[in-house]
Amino acid sequence: MRSLGPILLSLRVAAVATAISLVLGLLLARLMTTRRLPCKFVLEGLILLPMVFPPTITGYLLLLLLGKRGPIGQLLGMMGTKIVFTWGAAVVASAVVSLPLMYQNCKAALLGVDGRLEDAARTLGLGERRIFRRITLPLALPGVLAGIALSFARAIGEFGATLMIAGNIPGRTQTLPLALYSAVEGGRAAEANLYLAVTTVLAFAVVAVVGLAESRSRPARRGGSVDTAASPRGRGGRR
Amino acid sequence: MIRARIRKRLPRFELDIDLEADGCTSVLWGESGSGKTTILECVAGLVRPDSGEIRLEDRLVFSSEKGIDLPPRSRGVGYVFQDYELFPHLTAEENVALAMPRSERHRARDYLERFGIGGLARRKPALLSGGERQRLALARALAVEPRLLLLDESFSALDRSTRQEMYAEFLSLRESLGMSVILVTHNRSEAELLGHRIFELREGSLAEEAR
Repeated sequence: MRSLGPILLSLRVAAVATAISLVLGLLLARLMTTRRLPCKFVLEGLILLPMVFPPTITGYLLLLLLGKRGPIGQLLGMMGTKIVFTWGAAVVASAVVSLPLMYQNCKAALLGVDGRLEDAARTLGLGERRIFRRITLPLALPGVLAGIALSFARAIGEFGATLMIAGNIPGRTQTLPLALYSAVEGGRAAEANLYLAVTTVLAFAVVAVVGLAESRSRPARRGGSVDTAASPRGRGGRR
Repeated sequence: MIRARIRKRLPRFELDIDLEADGCTSVLWGESGSGKTTILECVAGLVRPDSGEIRLEDRLVFSSEKGIDLPPRSRGVGYVFQDYELFPHLTAEENVALAMPRSERHRARDYLERFGIGGLARRKPALLSGGERQRLALARALAVEPRLLLLDESFSALDRSTRQEMYAEFLSLRESLGMSVILVTHNRSEAELLGHRIFELREGSLAEEAR
C-alpha cells in the first residue's frame, strides 16, 4: 500500500497543475490571439521557456523565486507560510512545465476557429465575452481537450523541477517519477514495475483522449454542406 | 433608410462611394474583388472605413469626423453572409435563438416556421440542404429585428433550381419586410431580378443605373 501514496499524490498534483495551466493557458492564448500587445514575442517567449529549458534549470529558477530569500518566498514568509518542499511546490513545478503545451494547444485551437463565425455573432448582437463562451470556445474545444490531456501527461511525468523545489520526501512530495527513481535506486523492482505499469496505463489514456479530440475536430466545423462553396477567409476581428 | 459615405484604401484601389437607400432593395453589382463585400462590412461595423459617415435611420453609427464608431452589435443590421456562417455546433433553433434576448427565445421556432423550416429546428446546419441553410441564415438575420438587411452573394452557393426557388421566396419576402435591403452580387441577371435599384461598382466608385 506504500506504493499507492506516490500514485495518488501524482494524480492530485497533476490534476491541480492541469487546472491551473488550463486557466492560465486559455487566458494567455485568448490575449495573444485577440490583442495587439507591444512586446508580444517577449511574453510568448517567457511562456514557452520551460519547454526548452532543462527541467532542473526551471526548478532552480522557481527555487530562486519561491525560496526563503526569493521575492515570492519572502512575501509568503510575511504571510506566515511557505511553499518550497510542500506538495504545493510540486503543483507549481508541474503547472509551469505543462503551461507551454497547454498554451500552444489552446492558441492553435482558438486560431483554428473561423473568424467569420465570430463576425456573424457580432452582427447578431453578441458581446465579445458571450461570443467566446458560446461560439469560439465550443468550436475550439477539441484542441483545448488535447491540451488538457498533454498537459496532464507532462505534469504526471514531471521530475527535475519537482525535485528542485519540492524535494523527494516520501509521503509528502514524493510523486510517481520520484518514487520510481527511488525504487530503482533502492533495488525494489516490484515497486518500480508497478509504477511503470501505472504510467503506461495513464499514457494510453492520454493518447486515447488526444485521438478522440482530434477525430472530433475533423468533421466540418463550419457547418459546410456538400452544395456550399466554402471559402474560409481566416480570422475576423478586423476592427 | 441608409445614408453612407465611405472612403477606404484597398490593396488595388481606393473605395470611395456615396450610397443612399430608403425602404427598397438596392443591389450592388460588380466584378469579384470590386469592394462590394467591404461596403457591407463597413455598414455592419465589421470593417472600419478610413473616413466617411454612415447613418442608419436617424442614427449616426459611424463618423470619422465626430469619432463615432458603433460596434456591430449596436447597429441593428441583419447580415446574411456569403457562406451563411451558421454556427455548426448549434441546432437550427439555437442558431436563431442566440440572436434573441433570453425572454424572447421561445419565439425562435416562429422564425423557423416563417421560413418553412420549423420541422428542422433540431438539426445542425451540416445536415441541412443549401436552400434550407439559406432560409435559416435569413431567419437568423431577421431575428435581431434589424433596421437594415445586408445580403452578401447569398444566392451564389445554391444550385440552379434551388436558386430560382429562393429568388421567388426572396421577392415575396422583400415586399413584406418593409425595410431597406442591400444585396451584393456579381450576377447581372440576379441584380435585375431582385433589385429596385441597381448600383454598379467599378474600381471603387459606385454609379446608379437607370431602370
